[in-house]
Amino acid sequence: MIDFNSVTTAIDRFLNSVLPHQAATLVECLIIAVCAIVAYLTFAIVMIYMERKVCAAFQCRVGPDRVGKWGLLQVFSDVFKMLTKEIIELCSSDKILYTLAPFLVIMSSIITFSCLPFDNGLQVLDFNIGIFFIMAASSFGILGILLGGWSSNNKFSMIGAMRSGGQMISYELSMGLSVLTLVVLSGTMQISDLVEEQTKGWFIFRGHIPAFIAFIIYIISGNAETNRAPFDLPEAESELTAGFHTEYSGMGFGLFYVAEFMNMFIIAGIATTIFLGGWAPFTIPGADAFNSAMFMIPGFVWFLGKTFFVIWLLMWIRWTFPRLRIDQVLVLEWKYMVPIGLLNLLIMTICVVMGWTF
Amino acid sequence: MKLRETYIGKILLTIKSLATGLRVTLREFFTRKITEHYPENRKTLHIAERHRAMLCMPHDEEGNNKCIACGLCSMACPNGTISIVTKSVTDEETGKSKKVLVEYNYDLGACMFCQLCVNACPKGAIEFSNSFENAVFDRSKLIIKLNK
Amino acid sequence: MEVNFIDIKDFRETMLAHRRKGMDFLRELIGMDWQDDGLGAIYMLENSSTHENIEVAVRTLDRERPQLPSVSDIWMVAELYEREVYDFYGIEFTGHHDLRRLYLRNDWVGFPLRKDYDASEELNPVRMESEPVEEFQREYDIQDDREMAEIVEKLKILHYDQYVVNIGPQHPATHGVLHFHLSLEGEEVRKVDIRCGYIHRGIEKLCESRTYPQILPFTDRLDYLSAHQNRHALCMCIENAMEIGVSDRVQYIRTIMDELQRIDSHLLMYSCMAMDMGAITGFIYGFREREKILDIMEEVTGGRLIQNYYVIGGVQADITPGFAKKVKEYCNDQKIRIKEYYDLFVNNVIFRNRSIGVGVLSREDAISFGATGGTGRASGWACDVRKRHPYAMYGKVDFKEIVHTGGDCYTRLIVRLEEILESIGIIEQLIDNIPEGDYKTKTKPIIKLPEGRFSASVEGSRGEFGVFIESRGDKMPYRLKFRPTGLPLLAAAHKIMKGCKIADLITIGASLDYVIPDIDR
Repeated sequence: MIDFNSVTTAIDRFLNSVLPHQAATLVECLIIAVCAIVAYLTFAIVMIYMERKVCAAFQCRVGPDRVGKWGLLQVFSDVFKMLTKEIIELCSSDKILYTLAPFLVIMSSIITFSCLPFDNGLQVLDFNIGIFFIMAASSFGILGILLGGWSSNNKFSMIGAMRSGGQMISYELSMGLSVLTLVVLSGTMQISDLVEEQTKGWFIFRGHIPAFIAFIIYIISGNAETNRAPFDLPEAESELTAGFHTEYSGMGFGLFYVAEFMNMFIIAGIATTIFLGGWAPFTIPGADAFNSAMFMIPGFVWFLGKTFFVIWLLMWIRWTFPRLRIDQVLVLEWKYMVPIGLLNLLIMTICVVMGWTF
Repeated sequence: MKLRETYIGKILLTIKSLATGLRVTLREFFTRKITEHYPENRKTLHIAERHRAMLCMPHDEEGNNKCIACGLCSMACPNGTISIVTKSVTDEETGKSKKVLVEYNYDLGACMFCQLCVNACPKGAIEFSNSFENAVFDRSKLIIKLNK
Repeated sequence: MEVNFIDIKDFRETMLAHRRKGMDFLRELIGMDWQDDGLGAIYMLENSSTHENIEVAVRTLDRERPQLPSVSDIWMVAELYEREVYDFYGIEFTGHHDLRRLYLRNDWVGFPLRKDYDASEELNPVRMESEPVEEFQREYDIQDDREMAEIVEKLKILHYDQYVVNIGPQHPATHGVLHFHLSLEGEEVRKVDIRCGYIHRGIEKLCESRTYPQILPFTDRLDYLSAHQNRHALCMCIENAMEIGVSDRVQYIRTIMDELQRIDSHLLMYSCMAMDMGAITGFIYGFREREKILDIMEEVTGGRLIQNYYVIGGVQADITPGFAKKVKEYCNDQKIRIKEYYDLFVNNVIFRNRSIGVGVLSREDAISFGATGGTGRASGWACDVRKRHPYAMYGKVDFKEIVHTGGDCYTRLIVRLEEILESIGIIEQLIDNIPEGDYKTKTKPIIKLPEGRFSASVEGSRGEFGVFIESRGDKMPYRLKFRPTGLPLLAAAHKIMKGCKIADLITIGASLDYVIPDIDR
């Protein structure tokens, strides 16, 4: 396994040797920003293509296969189409907020994205309350959705925005609880430490039953956070045509669209990081030969493999279930998920205190 | 109280019903897909023999058709899709004058494929063909002269 | 021709008496223009338990302000029916509290189904500006001496200070161009105003200037998901009137095709319900099987949606040689697939929670609204025409009428899915025994109906579909009326949608399973 910490330190030393310290920091920031955005867009393209193909497979179709070999260029042609679309200006909308909303959503998404540990040392933000930061950064995306729905001055958008407000703020709670359960198990909030800890064994195995329940709760509330079926009420197309982004066209809509997909990637990435061991390979205690073979596979392959598996799980759920109604969404959260999450946290604490974990 | 009405029972039933649904879609994920690859499958495409795509007038090898220009088809048509231009020709042997078809115009764009014209034809001179790729860019191209 | 008219003064008393005697189902309300004999309406009543039928006719000689008493308080469905008659004949129904035009624009000049209607384009040009919205519901005060009732503009339909949302005419969940004008309070629907007529084509008016064979293609374009049944009704009506006998072979073929069409329609209903509730995969699965029916149909009739198969005296062409085998293969496959629908969607806890107890229509309401078909049977009303007045082969085959009592959206879907199995049962009984015979009885080249009034009704895919013809002995009908299956459903929808959530509104709409071209005609 490669330790990317050495690579980044080398680059840092090199830049500091040729440039003054502040300039070096600036250049580093720029390099990182470019890398993060490029990675973000690359994954977005992969995700959109994957969604189409996976959805098609669940629905006895073959999916896009006209543009390029196996439809590989479909996403690019879509982006091109979106770029050529007219951006419609509504006379009764709140111009500033209307323009700002998609950027808020994408900003929150990119900040969260940069916290993901792709490999040992391959991570932009890493500090002692990393998990806490992720939760905070991902939740201000709601603001963009609310503003988008509000400023469009469209009644459908408004209903969609209100629904998403109610839904996302509620589900933040059970998501936090399930993450907290794992923080109890690991004893740290720093992402790098969290993954380092899991090289000895993934938390979902080490925390057994409570960790597994936390994982299920996390997947459900993650689905709700990303506004995907069965929780796609804010944009329920058969009720509200397109919900909060009804009035957006061209790249305004494109940004919402990309952010939705990337939020799914982020949710899956976080699930991988805290439950499935991040870049840590699959190991069996005692089987040394097997373990060393597993360690030969690079960390980012492990990370991406696990993340895309979780994404596939999310897609499987999305393409199977009907949509819930808004009151049922809230009932599910407040009557089932939160109590179970709290109880689960208690069980986990007892397990940790009594030493009943592996 | 039955188990299915309790808090725990409801959760278990929910999980069961959701798992059943997931099983169905998972099975479909791995079965063969049913999409037809049109137009690549043009050669193997099966179009029902009776499929009504457009009206046509079959011609024999010498280029003759069976139309006697009686006009029953255009009278039967509810939409006025068919218009016939005729001329009178005097038969040299008998000396009787006879109507002969000059132009048989058919407006595919207005046709509703009700088959009344085919039913009305006493000679079986017209029929519906299978050529279904009728998309054109101009409405005027849908007005077709059927006789040669 | 002879019509026994009830005196207008006794009309309401007579109708109330009929209602008390158990005539609780207003099958049809047909507006008529008898020219010199006045304008009027024919009411077709049925007793929902004894299936006894009667016809009541009433007229007024005043052509300037024709007025008839309303029966909308006796049979709830009359509310929409009377609006339709008002729209086409200008008959004002006194006591009707919401007498607006139903299909045509508010600024339309004249009443198109009157025989003296002026169809010139100067009066009704193609208008490019949007329709002026009528804000008031109208009521015509009934005076004791019945001199002339006056318009009272009472209620605003929707106030501008309400949160008004338009579902439709362009909306993914209205299954066509229907327009719900909603007033919301949060997520809850406070008021519903249904506007139809966006694809009104005036088929009944067109029919008055077409010969009988030329009318046949229109039936496929009403409720396109019961194309066969609609055409069956019209053919049957004409055949009965002209006393043309059809062979047993034709009866067998017609019954089988009707049932295939019913399965097709119910599959679509299941699929669309799944889609409206966000389960798009369920939608595709339903369409996967529907495709097979369409293939079978195409092989026999040459059409997938517009079938164009039945003709007066028989069918267009004999069935194809491989038909029986294909149908049997399909039936066997479908029986297995139905279980898959239950697993994926119907038994899914999310769907059950969203549909059980939502949009409950009681049995009394279902009858009063005349909501036949799956909707009526889900409310516990045994309203199947195949059982009530058997036609074709239905008297001879063994099948069960599916009746449930839940009356909610869930039951309405279950009824349809169980009916698919019953239809398969009917097909399996018939498919192997199709007798030899002519597929078409020879008819005269020009079809003329004798003078008189004729009617026939069949069980369409979503309720009773009826045809009423008044003939004056010509080759064209004097008046032809189709009983829409969808309009009563819409009337019922209006009631059960009040007080539900927006999401429920979509569920109710999907479960009622209306088809817009059938409502609008």
